[in-house]
Order: sequence, then structure tokens, then C-alpha cells
Amino acid sequence: MLREPFHLSDQDILLVADGELSGRRARQARAHLTACWLCRSRLGELEGTIADFVTLHRRTLDPQLPPSTGSRALLKARLAEAAGAPSTNPWPRLLQLLPTHRAAAYICVAVFITVLGSKFILRHSQPQSTQDLALASLAIPDQNLTPGATRPVSVGDVCSMAHEEVVRAVPSSLREQVFREYGIVNPRPEDYEIDYLIAPGLGGAEDIHNLWPEPTSLSAWNAHVKDALEERLHQLVCDGELDLPTAQRAIATDWITAYKKYLGTGRYVSQTRKAALLQKPS
Amino acid sequence: MLIPRADSMHELAFPASTGTGASAKPAESECEVIHLFEQFRNPLLRYVISRGLSLHDGEEIIQEVFLALFRHLQLGKSRRNLRGWVFRVAHNLALKQYAANKKAQATFDSDEGLAQKQPAATLNPEEQAASSQRQERMQAVLRALPEQDRCCLYLRAEGLRYREIAATLGISLGAVSIALTRSLARMGRVVEG
Repeated sequence: MLREPFHLSDQDILLVADGELSGRRARQARAHLTACWLCRSRLGELEGTIADFVTLHRRTLDPQLPPSTGSRALLKARLAEAAGAPSTNPWPRLLQLLPTHRAAAYICVAVFITVLGSKFILRHSQPQSTQDLALASLAIPDQNLTPGATRPVSVGDVCSMAHEEVVRAVPSSLREQVFREYGIVNPRPEDYEIDYLIAPGLGGAEDIHNLWPEPTSLSAWNAHVKDALEERLHQLVCDGELDLPTAQRAIATDWITAYKKYLGTGRYVSQTRKAALLQKPS
Repeated sequence: MLIPRADSMHELAFPASTGTGASAKPAESECEVIHLFEQFRNPLLRYVISRGLSLHDGEEIIQEVFLALFRHLQLGKSRRNLRGWVFRVAHNLALKQYAANKKAQATFDSDEGLAQKQPAATLNPEEQAASSQRQERMQAVLRALPEQDRCCLYLRAEGLRYREIAATLGISLGAVSIALTRSLARMGRVVEG
């Protein structure tokens, strides 16, 4: 424990400073530090090095961390998907049963599957509610109504835009016009966000051809998830890793495909869910 | 570079723990996971990108960590020291990402991230001038440290206790203590010199 006959080793000094010693050893070490200028001075040096390292660590890394809004929204969407998915596999447990119980268990499972299958067929042979269909179909805008529109901007303009311009609100008159165009009557505010297809931060114009009622209440591919894509594309454009027209084209053509390409995270959305989301209104 | 010891990467990435409670309701687990995400997202992301992974890879790893945590809670597994648990999963996923990364040397050489970054833009020119020389020396020492020592430093900088660091890296408490002491002594000698 002692570096010299009467002094603490660096390891013990650090253990005391980090609160990692306990009991008698901690009391002894603290008493020594109180009495010994040499060891206290060494403690000061170690703490100075720690402070330098922590400062370097935080100052270098913190400016790189993007806001958590987009990733939190994405996590919520994924958790909703995960919560809807079956979480356990019953087969191994079933196979561990005694032979006499196994037959009964197989019968129960067969009955369960039959009942479940019947319910599934009944459910899917009937149309979903209009509200659900409308929401699901609007994850991607109607290309005829909202092909996307841009304003003439350079990369420099886009990357030096003030935050207020990037998150510019859509005027209420234009919002109402968009709802009318999409045939949505008395929309619930919590269901939709009138969103720019090509975001202002990517040179998108405040034009009816660039606006659509984007569902906010879908568990996946909702407005919050699209925000994460917009942030990512903006970052790529400003870092010089993607040219602006390509970013605009990608988000205008199919933002979900663009999301999977540039954020590489489409695998969590189930195929059935995706099919429902991408289904066009008849 | 730490070498994975488990046979299966999945087992390595998602450590098992004994079930100690009843399965949580999905809504409760979701709230708890989001709360923990808000608490630990930045420390985890800092740790992962300080290991040299890209921000994009880091964000994806963080998502996987919290999805794994959600499943962990839903299965009613141990809630003891969830901070240590998420760091352990993040560390293992970072290793897994490294194994899958074809540009390993370019992207994971541990402190390239730190070494090549400029001082923060928030520093004024005087502060930058004063700190840059010291920082450069410190970065050089960091690059020369064994990977395990660097991991210990980064995890300690994120507030983990020695026991949590030991569990995250799969090493002994004594090894953590020695690694931290050795790293700080080296950095101290160079910075002061």
C-alpha cells in the first residue's frame, strides 16, 4: 500500500480520490493524506491530469453530438414496433413437457392457432377504419399533389440558415389548403403535421406542391422519424458528403427509402406494417 | 483491441442475467427505457465515438442498446445496475461493429477520433492557443496507451465506478485500478514535461 515506508502509492491515492477504498484502508489513507503534504501534492497532480483529460474528452466530443430529438423519436417508434411483436418463443418450453402433457399441449396450441387464424381472417376480410387507412396511406405523400418544390439556394445558404428558417411554420391558410387538397375534413391536430416534403433546411420551398399532411401518430415512419432523416441529410450536405440536388431528390422521391439508405435502419419495421403504411387509398 | 471471449457474438453483445422479477408491461418498459435513454444517450454516444466509430454507427448502436434494454426489462430480468448494463452492451456492440467494419484500421483506430478533431469552436482563440499544445501532448499519450487502458479512462470519465468498468470490459477490479493509475501517470508526466 505504501510507495515508500511512509507514503501512499499512486494507485492508493487514486482509489481514495475515487471513493473506491472502504473500511479501515480508506480511513488510514485519508488520515495519511491529511497529514502528508507530499501525498496530497501527488493527489493534486493526479486530479489535475484527470481534469485535463475530462476537459479534452468533453470539449472534443460534445460539439459532435447531435440533438437527441430525432433519435429519441426513432427509438419510440422502434419500441412501439417491438412492443407489438411477439416477445417469446413457446416451443422450447412445450417440447420439455412430459409426453402425457405434450399431447394436451399440442391440442391447446392447435385450438389457439385455429381461433387466432379465424380472427385474423375475419379482421382482414373487413376494411380498416377510414381514419386508419387515411393515416397509413399518408406516410408517403401523393406524388401528384406533392411532388416537392425547391427554392434557388446554394449549399452555403442552406448550411448557414438560422434555426428559425429551418423549422419554419406553415401559415394557417396554406395548411387549410393542403388539408382540402388531400380531402381531409375536420382533421384532429394530434393526427397530422403539415410538413415540408423537401425540408426548408434542404432548400424546400413554402409551396403547396411541397407540403402534405404527414401523420404524427403512426408508430413508425411518422413525422418525427422524418425529422431525423432531414437532420441527417442536412449534415451530409454541409459536410460535403452529399450534393444538395441528390439530397432533395432522395427525400422527394421516397423519404422512407432515403431513410433506410442514409440512416440504414429500416429493418425494424415489419413487412406487414410496411405494406400497410405504403398502401395507397383506393 | 480487446478480443471477444464469448463464442457467440450475440451472447457477447447481450449479456444474460438472471430473471428476478415479473415481466413488465410494454408501456411501463417503454417509459422506463425512454427515461434511461434521455439519461445515458450522450454518455454512451461519447463513449462509442471516442472509440473511433462514426457518429452514424454510434447512433445505431445506441438504438440497439435501448431496444435490447426494452427486451431485457420485458422479460423481467435483473434491474440491478442498469447503467453498467447499458455500457456493457454498448461496448460489446461497438466491438461487433468493429468486426463487421471492413475499414477497421481507418475507422476504429481508437483515438483517431480524438486525435484529428479540432478544439471546440466554442473556445475563444486565446483558450485554443493555451490548450492546444497540452491537448496535443495528451492526445499523443492517449494514442500510445493500450486499448484496455483507454477504455478504462473513457468509462471512468463517463462516471462509471471501478466495479462497473470491470464488468463492462470483463476484467478484474485490480486491472481497472492499475490501468487508470498507469494511464494518468503517463499523461501527467507528458503534460507536465
